[in-house]
Amino acid sequence: MSIPIAAESVAFVYPDGTRALDGIDLHVAEGERVAIVGQNGSGKSTLVRQLNGLLRPTEGRVLVDGRDAAQLHVAQLAARVGLAFQNPDRQIFAGRVRAEVAFGPRNLGRSGDAVDRAVDEALDAVGLSGTADANPYDLGYSRRKLLAIASILAMQTPVVILDEPTTGQDARGVARVRAIIERLSTEGRTVITISHDMRFVAETARRVVVMREGRILLDGTPGEVFGEANWPALASTYLEPTLPARVGARLGLDGTATEAALVEALQARRG
Amino acid sequence: MPHGTYHALNPTTKLVIAFAEALVAFGVRGWTGPLAVLVVLALTALAAGVARRMVPFALATIPLVISILLVNTLLYPGAHDVIVRLGPLAPTWSGLTAALQATLRVIAFALSAAILGLTTPTDDLLSDLERRGLGRRGTFVIGSAIRMVPRMGERAGEITDSQRARGMDTQGSVIRRVRGVIPLAGPMIFGALTEVEEQTMALEARAFSAPARRTVLRVLPDSGAQRLVRWVLFLGAIAAVAAEIAGLLHLP
Repeated sequence: MSIPIAAESVAFVYPDGTRALDGIDLHVAEGERVAIVGQNGSGKSTLVRQLNGLLRPTEGRVLVDGRDAAQLHVAQLAARVGLAFQNPDRQIFAGRVRAEVAFGPRNLGRSGDAVDRAVDEALDAVGLSGTADANPYDLGYSRRKLLAIASILAMQTPVVILDEPTTGQDARGVARVRAIIERLSTEGRTVITISHDMRFVAETARRVVVMREGRILLDGTPGEVFGEANWPALASTYLEPTLPARVGARLGLDGTATEAALVEALQARRG
Repeated sequence: MPHGTYHALNPTTKLVIAFAEALVAFGVRGWTGPLAVLVVLALTALAAGVARRMVPFALATIPLVISILLVNTLLYPGAHDVIVRLGPLAPTWSGLTAALQATLRVIAFALSAAILGLTTPTDDLLSDLERRGLGRRGTFVIGSAIRMVPRMGERAGEITDSQRARGMDTQGSVIRRVRGVIPLAGPMIFGALTEVEEQTMALEARAFSAPARRTVLRVLPDSGAQRLVRWVLFLGAIAAVAAEIAGLLHLP
């Protein structure tokens, strides 16, 4: 249930002349777990909007499952690439949580039990099963955010893109989002996340892509990207390495982007 | 006229132009008022170089226009000139005429506000109005209304994108497009209400209600010619509406 997705020499210029993407080459294989990071305005959101056809490249092309996305409508691409937006309040419209989550699957032509099952699974995944009949606007911001994610999960797309999924979440919410991503990954689905939370990125992604001024600056594992050699590049786009990476570097251990990696490296050094 | 000329007019002049346009569009009955205003708006938009950017504002009136067309065409009081009977429905020519005229008025009003918003930095307008003695509450109400125009457009774009990302097809038949309006309305209204509430609280937190007199930071250029234009437009629009009410105008 996974497909590859790729951007080949993609450039994008907004109508006001802003060149948001400049020669992006990004190939994401089936089942990969990728995080895209970078300062505000670096082109992250513009890039993911190219992947589901909301924006079309002004140069280059996007390939979804080997097919040129230019030949597919957004509605067709939505069946392959689900994108949860950063602001849930610019998405939620239904009077009931269940109806909101069912909106996507119904648009994809599913009906009856298939929709009910997909909605129940998605609500369960985000921990909102008990609020299926509630009005979405009665939920707090963090739960509305989870609802917006559920409405994408219910579409059961092979590729899931989450734009800033941890914004406004407390520690429990962040853990919930992490669990959702791990579950999607276990199911073999491709997950692309945009985030400013470097700890979350290091602990969740297998691959980190750093963007700056519409270009890819770094691309590697969290251990590589947050390694000491890349700190000047990270600083140039106003990103900081994770705390374990900094502590590891002080101890002469490189590539320790997460607490687990740091502990493992320390244990290995002790022998 | 170079594009910058209209943009460079004093903000209050552009506000009075928008006010006069709206007044004539709604106050002068029949086709003449709204059509004349639309012609003026089209010429102004071309001169100011914002014609293309006004299209989304015209499109934003579609939900209202649809309701106007349906209600007037089907339920116009006292009309008997039925176009065609469709079961229990009996659309009338009188209703359709009234609906089309109302539609032109709504579009004229939306575009007059849009052209003001697109050519006038809100801060300039507020600063100018405050300098002329409008209270800060009045300034806030006008400023909020004007800021809402581009913000609503931006918000509508993002909401549409988020629904399209969930497979909503906004292309194709009219029915599909109309269905697409429903998922747009909820987030638009909720977002606007939340924003107003938050903005109000943020203003109060920054001593909006404090009685102290505020200093005018900058005085925008004005001229005697513009003052004359403002008075002529203001009084002219009122005179046109008064003549209409008094039955002195016999326009189609």
